[in-house]
Amino acid sequence: MVQEYRALKTLAAVLAVAVLLSGCPARTRPEPPGNSVPGNEAPGGRPLSPGLPPPPVRAPPPRENYLSPATSSLVTQARTLVSRGDLDGASSTLDRALRIEPNNPLVWIELGRLRLAESDAHQAEGCGRKALSLASGDRGTQAQAGRLLADALRAEGRNQEAIEIERQPFM
Amino acid sequence: MARSKLLRLGVALILVCIILAATFGAWIVHLDDVVTREFQGRHWSVPARVYAAPLELYAGAQISAADLEEELRRLHYRPGDPAAATGVYRRRENSFDLHARRVRFSDELREPQLVSISADANSITALKAADGTELPVFRLDPPVIGSVFPIHGEDRLVLSPADVPLLLRSGIKLIEDRRFDEHHGVDARGLARALWTNLRAGRVVQGGSTLTQQLVKNYFLSDEQTFDRKATEAVMATRLEAHFSKEEILVAYLNEVYLGQDGSRAIHGFGLGSEYYFAKPLAELDAGEVAMLVGLVKGPSYYDPRKHADRARARRNLVLQQFAEAHLIDAAAAQRAAAAPLGLRPPGGSYVPAYLDLVRRHLKRDYAEADLAAAGLSVYTSLDPRAQAAAERSLMLNLQRLDAASRVRGAHLEGALIVAEPNSGDVVAVVGGRDVGTDGFNRALDARRPIGSLVKPAVYLTALETGRYNAATLIEDAPVELKLNGSVWAPQNFEHQIYGWVPMARALAESMNLATVRLGLDLGLPKVADTLRRLGLEAPPALNPSLLLGTVEMTPLEVIEVYTSLANGGFRARLRAVHAVVDENGRPLKSFKVQVEEAAPAAAVYQLDRMLTLVTTRGTGRDAAARLPRGTVVAGKTGTSSDTRDSWFAGFTGSYVAVAWVGYDDNRVTGLTGATGALPVWADTLARLKSASFEPVAPELVEDRWIGFGDGLETTPACSGDAVVISVPKGAALPAKPGCSSLGVAPSPTGTLSDKIKAWFKNIVH
Repeated sequence: MVQEYRALKTLAAVLAVAVLLSGCPARTRPEPPGNSVPGNEAPGGRPLSPGLPPPPVRAPPPRENYLSPATSSLVTQARTLVSRGDLDGASSTLDRALRIEPNNPLVWIELGRLRLAESDAHQAEGCGRKALSLASGDRGTQAQAGRLLADALRAEGRNQEAIEIERQPFM
Repeated sequence: MARSKLLRLGVALILVCIILAATFGAWIVHLDDVVTREFQGRHWSVPARVYAAPLELYAGAQISAADLEEELRRLHYRPGDPAAATGVYRRRENSFDLHARRVRFSDELREPQLVSISADANSITALKAADGTELPVFRLDPPVIGSVFPIHGEDRLVLSPADVPLLLRSGIKLIEDRRFDEHHGVDARGLARALWTNLRAGRVVQGGSTLTQQLVKNYFLSDEQTFDRKATEAVMATRLEAHFSKEEILVAYLNEVYLGQDGSRAIHGFGLGSEYYFAKPLAELDAGEVAMLVGLVKGPSYYDPRKHADRARARRNLVLQQFAEAHLIDAAAAQRAAAAPLGLRPPGGSYVPAYLDLVRRHLKRDYAEADLAAAGLSVYTSLDPRAQAAAERSLMLNLQRLDAASRVRGAHLEGALIVAEPNSGDVVAVVGGRDVGTDGFNRALDARRPIGSLVKPAVYLTALETGRYNAATLIEDAPVELKLNGSVWAPQNFEHQIYGWVPMARALAESMNLATVRLGLDLGLPKVADTLRRLGLEAPPALNPSLLLGTVEMTPLEVIEVYTSLANGGFRARLRAVHAVVDENGRPLKSFKVQVEEAAPAAAVYQLDRMLTLVTTRGTGRDAAARLPRGTVVAGKTGTSSDTRDSWFAGFTGSYVAVAWVGYDDNRVTGLTGATGALPVWADTLARLKSASFEPVAPELVEDRWIGFGDGLETTPACSGDAVVISVPKGAALPAKPGCSSLGVAPSPTGTLSDKIKAWFKNIVH
């Protein structure tokens, strides 16, 4: 009985891993060259050709967001500026990224992280909510946006709301 | 006896003399004081330079090779050998080599740089640095759009001594005041010579005023030609010379002299003159252009090159001849320049007073006056010159067309237009009236008019937010009568028809008044007012039932604030004209960050926005499609105030949110609806801007369904000719058209529209 139960459990685990692995190639598409942003957790995926009309999202297929090469380089530059303590410079640089891809949730997440670094939790919250709304249908980006939002809410002393966010299915 | 009388007379005479001398002395001291104080004040008030947003180049940017060259020309880059100098580019077919100038951005001082840019007929394809490495992104110089004295608001492009080209420096002295370097403010010899010349000619052909006197006249005195004034002018001129150097006086003169009139805006100074007549910085003018400006000083309206080209040309050539005689240029160059056309830039264009007006107001609102008093500030703005040009042109052409078709004679329609990027709130264009180059009444910011049906989306959003309504919910369009303060309020539909029970989506798309009033009264006026407030209306509207039909008065700027929240998925973005103010040394005074705040639930706003796309396909705004590139999805709303006094259109694409208003300044009846007046202005502007379709990311709580536009019943396109797609909360129960159940074809939330059609087709086949 116990043996059988163990075998079943092992089988279930193997199956689960197999299912997970089979799902993997779909999620982690090879990254287009030059697109990587160090530390960014969700690169790769559907190219957002800047300027071209975005693909139809009327009822969106599961999607992944990533940064275009131009915004990606600006985000990298902004991170370098942050590491040197030049928050104003980073803010202006992210402003440029926003001009190029104003509705890319990853740029808003970056901006929200910067607002947190500037101790502007209220604006960080705004960026987090905005990113979350733009990330609809993209679990990976939703999770990043959710973490930002939870951090912002905690910084505002709203722990209960932060916990609620962390309990969302995309987290 | 006689002697004492004589003595007394003498004493009296001396006394009178002393009193006169004292009065004269006091007068001189007073003038001295005035001159010093005023001149110093003027002298040091260097205005802030205002820059438009720099154009960002990157692979994929929608900038064609032709656009790029035009942009480079606008930034005064010259064709040539880029290796030789900065400010030069070379184009070979679709690739450009550019030697970018040293330029200060709000966040960086960039040293000169060689860049290679490739572009095709649509977009930028590649960017490389001089060493062949790929550049992910590169920005062009931010264009100067003007200068503001942030505190008192005058516009001038003020020159510093280093900005004054040599030819202008010598040329102005040669033509206007040959002995400038020798005299002490007044030139007796020059005056005598002028008198003699005028006597011989029998009329005034030469003025004897020195540059200093002209400056004094411009600064302090009226235009009357009296002896009194001449004397004051002479005294002030000598006092000015006593206190300030020749250099200071010359530069002040060059910044002050009157060079023409652009509508109600006076063109003062050579910096602005160069920009106004030639659209070039002074440093880039050739000899002929300098000669024309120098010649203009004598009589800016008589020699106005736009009105009297022959006079202006003759005057320029005379000045060129004198330049050559004085060896400022050689004879051959003078002849070449005399044979060249005047080279005026086309009128309109580069000057954007309505936008500068918004910049001034934002500066005043957000910065301390003491900070703004510093000299040499740079103000970086969100203005997009291409969007501004598109907006100006669309408004001008449409108003001309509407005027020509109008039965109203002797009055000109006016209009206003604002365009913004909804996510960041960046204001990219402001047009304050049809006369775009003049600094007049700024309708975009100051014309407060009833918004008519532009208010309706707030009513429908309030309904969606309750969760009790969706786009298919039937609401009743039937007569309403309300007793208000003793009188009866009985609104009508525009076409005086009554439509009965209609789905919400149709009531909004066709802008039904009665259905909207009934819905709004059901929801409660305070709720609707609160929705408006959350979306961005600052002043609380009066809670009168007529609020539901848009008797609330708003400026286009206030309207765009509200519509930005709708374009932005329910997030309120603070409108931003100024990004940063940087001091002389490049240190930021303060920067203006993007600000977003959740204003309304994303799912409700998404459902509303999808209803607003039906306005432009099935409703009152359907004429928009013909003016936009085929297949472009836009969302918006028409607005017409009572008796067609105001025509509005507000709406958004995937790239921009914009508001257009058309009407008469004296508020007379236009005969135009929102669709016939403002809509063409709006649509033409967005068509010129190559906007992307409005295709927002769908929230996970909603899904697409087909309903009959007329009856609101769930259906399929094959079953109902008037089927439209709406967005409703996932799993919403919709009454279905008998025999047309779309069960099984109900589009899955993860299918595209074409998937849905395929699925539906499959269903029919089975």
